[in-house]
Amino acid sequence: MTEKLLTKHFGTENLFRIDVYLKLNGYQSARKAVLEMMPEEILNEVKAANLRGRGGAGFPAGVKWAFIPKDVQKPKYLCVNADEGEPGTFKDRYIMNHNPHLLLEGIIIASFCVGINTAFIYIRGEYEMVAKRLEQAIAEAYANGFLGKKVFGSDFHLEVIVHRGAGAYICGEETALLESIEGKPGNPRLKPPFPASIGLFKCPTVVNNVETLSNMPFIIAFGAEKFRRLGLQNDGGTRIFSVSGKVKEPGIYELPTGISLREIIFNHAGGIQEGKRLKAVIPGGISAPILKADEIDIHMDFDLLIEAKSMLGSAAIIVIDEDTSILDVLKIITTFYSHESCGKCSPCRIGNSWIHKIVMRIKEGKGEKDDIENIIRLASNMVGKTLCPLGDAAGMAILTIMEKFMKEIESCIEN
Amino acid sequence: MVKILIDGNAIEVKEETSILEAAEQAGIFIPHLCFHPALTPEGNCRMCLVEIEGFPELELACSTKVADGMKISTQSEKVTEARKSMLEFLLAEHPLDCPICDKAGECKLQDYYDDYGLFDSKFNEKKEKKEKKVPIGKNLILDRERCIMCSCCVRFLREITHTQELGILQRGIHSEIGIYEGMPINNNYSGNLVDLCPVGAITDKDFRFKTRSWLLNRRDSICPLCSRGCNITIEYFHGFSRFEELKKVYRIKPRENLKVNGFWICDFGRYNYYYLYEDRMKGITYKKIEKESQMTWENTLNFISEKIKSLYHENKTSRIALICSSWLSNEELFLLKKIFKDDLEIENIYLVDPLQGESDGLLLTSDRSPNTRGAKEIGIKTMPLNIGTLSKETDLIIICGYFLVDHLKQEELKVMLKSIETKVLLTAHNSELDSFMDIVLPIALIAEKDGSLTNTDGFVQYFSSALKLPGESRPEWKIFIDLAKRLRLNPAYYNKFSSIKDIQKQIREEIPFFEEEIE
Repeated sequence: MTEKLLTKHFGTENLFRIDVYLKLNGYQSARKAVLEMMPEEILNEVKAANLRGRGGAGFPAGVKWAFIPKDVQKPKYLCVNADEGEPGTFKDRYIMNHNPHLLLEGIIIASFCVGINTAFIYIRGEYEMVAKRLEQAIAEAYANGFLGKKVFGSDFHLEVIVHRGAGAYICGEETALLESIEGKPGNPRLKPPFPASIGLFKCPTVVNNVETLSNMPFIIAFGAEKFRRLGLQNDGGTRIFSVSGKVKEPGIYELPTGISLREIIFNHAGGIQEGKRLKAVIPGGISAPILKADEIDIHMDFDLLIEAKSMLGSAAIIVIDEDTSILDVLKIITTFYSHESCGKCSPCRIGNSWIHKIVMRIKEGKGEKDDIENIIRLASNMVGKTLCPLGDAAGMAILTIMEKFMKEIESCIEN
Repeated sequence: MVKILIDGNAIEVKEETSILEAAEQAGIFIPHLCFHPALTPEGNCRMCLVEIEGFPELELACSTKVADGMKISTQSEKVTEARKSMLEFLLAEHPLDCPICDKAGECKLQDYYDDYGLFDSKFNEKKEKKEKKVPIGKNLILDRERCIMCSCCVRFLREITHTQELGILQRGIHSEIGIYEGMPINNNYSGNLVDLCPVGAITDKDFRFKTRSWLLNRRDSICPLCSRGCNITIEYFHGFSRFEELKKVYRIKPRENLKVNGFWICDFGRYNYYYLYEDRMKGITYKKIEKESQMTWENTLNFISEKIKSLYHENKTSRIALICSSWLSNEELFLLKKIFKDDLEIENIYLVDPLQGESDGLLLTSDRSPNTRGAKEIGIKTMPLNIGTLSKETDLIIICGYFLVDHLKQEELKVMLKSIETKVLLTAHNSELDSFMDIVLPIALIAEKDGSLTNTDGFVQYFSSALKLPGESRPEWKIFIDLAKRLRLNPAYYNKFSSIKDIQKQIREEIPFFEEEIE
């Protein structure tokens, strides 16, 4: 049995309550960080842990913190990305719902390390109950003196504010998230400047995913070395895989980073429903290029998946069985992207809509010969040319489906 | 300074320069739709993508700053393909209604398709239907189908006028530009949005469906409607006109001058161009002559000069009064001062200008004359207008411009002018003053003559005539020289002046302020 550090206590009744959490040695890491450690020490520990961001891009968390300039007079902000919009992903909801104090502890550690006094939790609009639970947990933490003016009795002060999104996928992109907190439409900003230098309200800002921060208490408590060794490949720690689709037991699975995809699907999630055959897997949320059934002997590690021309993303595994039409998959993906494109840059705004229109036409039985060629051309023209990763991701996801399932789509058009 | 290589050309540019601007300095044009030098780059049109050696993907020329040793390609296959594909995206959802679009002929999307596109449309789907005639401001109509979401208009109102009337509504393919309900764009710079819009999304009510841009002639000029002296282009057309018989000038556009007006002009200067052809004084009026054929410049100027001469010889120049205005050019004010003040030693010189207006804090100044500063530097000293003394102690009054009517009521004008023996008016427009006059001479407007103006900040701006003189009108400087010659005042001096350049040279020699020739 692998060690679980995020979901370990999920079975405990009322874990979301601070008294229960405290009985399980809760807030010990945050206390240790604030009272006994120097920010530099914490940073080195997180760097050494090789914790890569769990939101999707996999940027090393410690390196990201180190980008924050030290000698600025402006306030610095932490924005916790709890937008969790990537289709197939539902891990952060579990963490915040079951163990909100774990996240708060992570927030305290990160804020103390970087010198932040205000943290925003940007939570997706649909997570109404979760937001309430977070508010409740935050109130408890304030009442216990873990947040507020004197964190653990020290001179460090920290305010945590829950900010609910309004339902746009793009607000999970870090700069769109910042715009949204600032009260503007959630459109991504041009980078550079990066949030580390000019972020929220033009101040240096760290944007971290919920799961990323929830790993901090373990790293502080047990050290970087132990955390790093939990991973089977290059990355440190465990990963919560959100498994959905045609598997017998969909749900979240906390497993070591680098575990093989086949093992997750067949050993942990119980294999394919009704004994059907596996057709394809989307390994990291729908932005991750699709893998065919014969490509699943792959380690769920950031670099290895990139080598396989896909990506680990948010580690949301969507399993597709032989009965599912790939055209339906394409329809869902293109519907999603054309609906969620913010419309700021032309290739993403028009490209996604155009491709979606073609796919819907094929779906209506009015497909034409050159549709495939057009979709491929349009998708390739989006990749690498859009303002933010949304258009890139859409382009790659669509391209990969077209390449790997060309024959099936051709037959859809012919019939 | 930073050394870079663009398409093989080694150039040196200032740090913090964008690739797009660096390329421009090297004479290389990078197509762009959403970039404007006065606005924060937003990088949404993606037309300016270039290849930089060592970068995995194409980068935006508009927002990427140059770095030492950068090797940039603006012509590689990757770049030209990217441009083509961006145009394909934009044109896919564009209505392509160029035959009925006012922007046709000066539309960047059209131009770029010609330069970088030239593909056949592969778009077989239904285009999005959007509103095509949304009134968004006093002079502005928005066509949402033509809009390419470059957001220049939104940024202009956010960053230049700080009025923020426009925003982006909806999302994705449904994105559109819009105003708050019931709050149209009402600021004094709204017309600039039409110029800023790279396509035909924002059009001008004043210009819509009146002519085609390629029929227009364009001439540079200076806006005379306030003391800013904004640099403008007058766009006119002498051929057929469908609407108004008289209409020759179709629009005024700003001309870039970073020292004076940047890239903009105000709506006051843009839309008030009707004065160029409405109510124009075209012929000579000379009440003492009955035959119209004898109302010639020759006759009238002779009469005026003889009148002046006789008063001069009788030592009665104090009975000559001159009312001039800051609507005269530097050259004209200079000549006027030379002839009337220095040579004839006339003391009664008054400067009567249009009434002050309100400044808008950006370009439009409260001073509605184009050359107040010039008059000051040339040394036109003015005295307060004393109606009583003027009417009693004057035999000859020469008035340049009709601005007296702004300051005096009809009755007061009557009282003042009634007892003056000879009244001469030089004016470009008809006004209530005309009926009181013995001689009315038609003159040129700033747009119709050569000269220079000194703006409120002291910039001397030279201009050439942009429009033809209507009827018999003449520029004042020519009239003044003519008069000086007839008066036989200092012939050696006035005979030197055969062109406006000669006068300008003389001004530079005599008045230190004008020494430096600034354009």
